Amino acid sequence: MEMILAGLMDSLSPMSLMFVFVGVATGVAIGAIPGINGPMAIALFIPLTYYMSPLAAIGFLVGLNKGAFFGGAISAVLLRTPGTPEAAATTWDGYPLTEQGKGEKALRMALYSSVSGDFISTTVLVLIAAPLATVALYMGPPEMFALISLALTVIAGIGTKSISRGLVAAAAGLLVGMIGTEPVTALPRLTFDIYQLESGLSLIPVAIGLLAFSEILIQLERLRFGAGADEAARNFSDRPEDRFVSLKEFFANTKTLLRASAIGIGVGAMPGLGAPVASFLSYDQALKRSDKPEEFGKGRLEGIASSEAANSAVVGASLIPLFVLGIPGNLAVAMLMGAFMIHGMMPGPLLFEENSQLMYGVFGSLVIASFFLLIIGRFGLKLFCKAVQIPSVVLYPLVIFTCIMGAYLGQSSMFDVMVMLVFGVIGYFMRKFDFSYVAFLIGFILVPEWERALQQVVITSQYDTFMFFRRPVAVLLMALTVFVITRTFLVGIRKKG
Amino acid sequence: MTRIQRDTLAYALIVLASVVLLAWAIPKYTPPYPGYGASPALVPNVAVAVMLVMAVLAIVRTEVARRRGTRLDAEKSEFPEEGGGTGFTQVGRLDILHLLKYMVPAALFVVGIHTVGYIASALGFMLLLQYLVGARSHIRILAISVIAVALMYAVMRYGFGVPIPGL
Repeated sequence: MEMILAGLMDSLSPMSLMFVFVGVATGVAIGAIPGINGPMAIALFIPLTYYMSPLAAIGFLVGLNKGAFFGGAISAVLLRTPGTPEAAATTWDGYPLTEQGKGEKALRMALYSSVSGDFISTTVLVLIAAPLATVALYMGPPEMFALISLALTVIAGIGTKSISRGLVAAAAGLLVGMIGTEPVTALPRLTFDIYQLESGLSLIPVAIGLLAFSEILIQLERLRFGAGADEAARNFSDRPEDRFVSLKEFFANTKTLLRASAIGIGVGAMPGLGAPVASFLSYDQALKRSDKPEEFGKGRLEGIASSEAANSAVVGASLIPLFVLGIPGNLAVAMLMGAFMIHGMMPGPLLFEENSQLMYGVFGSLVIASFFLLIIGRFGLKLFCKAVQIPSVVLYPLVIFTCIMGAYLGQSSMFDVMVMLVFGVIGYFMRKFDFSYVAFLIGFILVPEWERALQQVVITSQYDTFMFFRRPVAVLLMALTVFVITRTFLVGIRKKG
Repeated sequence: MTRIQRDTLAYALIVLASVVLLAWAIPKYTPPYPGYGASPALVPNVAVAVMLVMAVLAIVRTEVARRRGTRLDAEKSEFPEEGGGTGFTQVGRLDILHLLKYMVPAALFVVGIHTVGYIASALGFMLLLQYLVGARSHIRILAISVIAVALMYAVMRYGFGVPIPGL
């Protein structure tokens, strides 16, 4: 109890509050810009967190992620250009409202729904993460090895339609993650006699290159085809009923909000599914259960509520597998995991044992970020709408420049800048060939833990081949891994006839 | 080159790279087995083997489909971004010239920081970059370059105390 209170008090310190506030505000502004999403923003801002306390750093990044999720709705509603896939369903009812001059009302509904989903999800996270982590403490190296194997298999399906390409990408991520000093012999491995590689590749340049730099290269290419060209946001109506969401209108959507939040929590807690799935699933359910399904797609607030509450509920829930098992379920959480590691902490069940005060501080920051999102969104909506109008010719050079200097900032190393550029090109090729950069990055992040678990299993079992068979949970997880791979291939073969 | 041909070429390159890694790079650049635990080469070998098997399977599947006359997904949606769709796929044709247009200035910027210093090289980089992206207003290009370079310098040098090379 003492730890809980101390942690919560830490999250209320002026410095922590300031960073969470700045994180949320920056996230909303960045999320509003089409083409820039939460994980990309986290990759760009992680270098800055080197200079913050762990709580301020995690609070800032969590705020950034939450803000970016809502920010995505701004471009979706005003420009019919969802900056991120999860905001696509918001477009269907948000943009028709903008065309009717009710863009401000649509954005307010998106904000309230987003905050509701996020708050419910954060509450669930706070209530169940610590007890689940206590149970997870009983998992030994065989279970951890099996669990990471399962996670890698599930995650291989993210960001690509082909599981085989996902597996290739995840395996490539594992391989690149093994560059550096081998943990048992303490000798260099796969360094090709380049001494800078002996400490391994740092997450920051790899993430900036794969997520931000390569994305901007693709966006610049699309500019030539006219896609992503700047469009003027529509004007808002001045009539109060077209601008504000009344309490009656909000509470009329209570059922939808609760259902959407439940869907978001369920989807977010499962590694590999992600916010777009939650958003589309929730919209579909809202449509099927609505009294007026014929109004969907024509500017119905219920449609916005279902999509936004569900995708925002994913944010908190996706932290459950990270905090409980040390498994990142999506890209944004993988980046947060990287931030924890940069600050010397390994997410997983031990996190609550070793850093309980900090963890309760993080929980406090998560709740505070929800309130800040409401305040910032409520009072700064019109200002953030301006972000969608930043011309590409100004924005993209600035992002490229920030990528380069951000890669340098982490370790004051020009080698890191070169690594970032190389991974920018790799990311460009991966996107063009449909190899999942998400699976690559998660493989890269998880491999040290995976290999450590494997080494522990081998050493403690003294080469007992049947070690796994004496651990039922490990057997179950490995069986699930085999099942996922086999099923995916069989479904693929059946689809192709 | 069609998408399916390009994908097959990519898989062939992965097969080649995997063979080189298994036959040369991993044995040469991995520490010897210390006598306990798993071999340091085990996980790299497993990772490369997965890449190899998946790439070979993809090539075999393409070849089988070609002989049977069935169409694969890659043939059904030839470079989706050119079909006018609004999906989120980024599968598309490679544009090496486009890539070089931005990679060469970035590489020159990295070299420039060491040789002519941060301010001169960063200013030149930002001016060139904006021009390449399509900005044509000279005053705006200059203003944005100066502000961005100065702001970044102030944040790095005085905010974080990071030494900037060549200055």
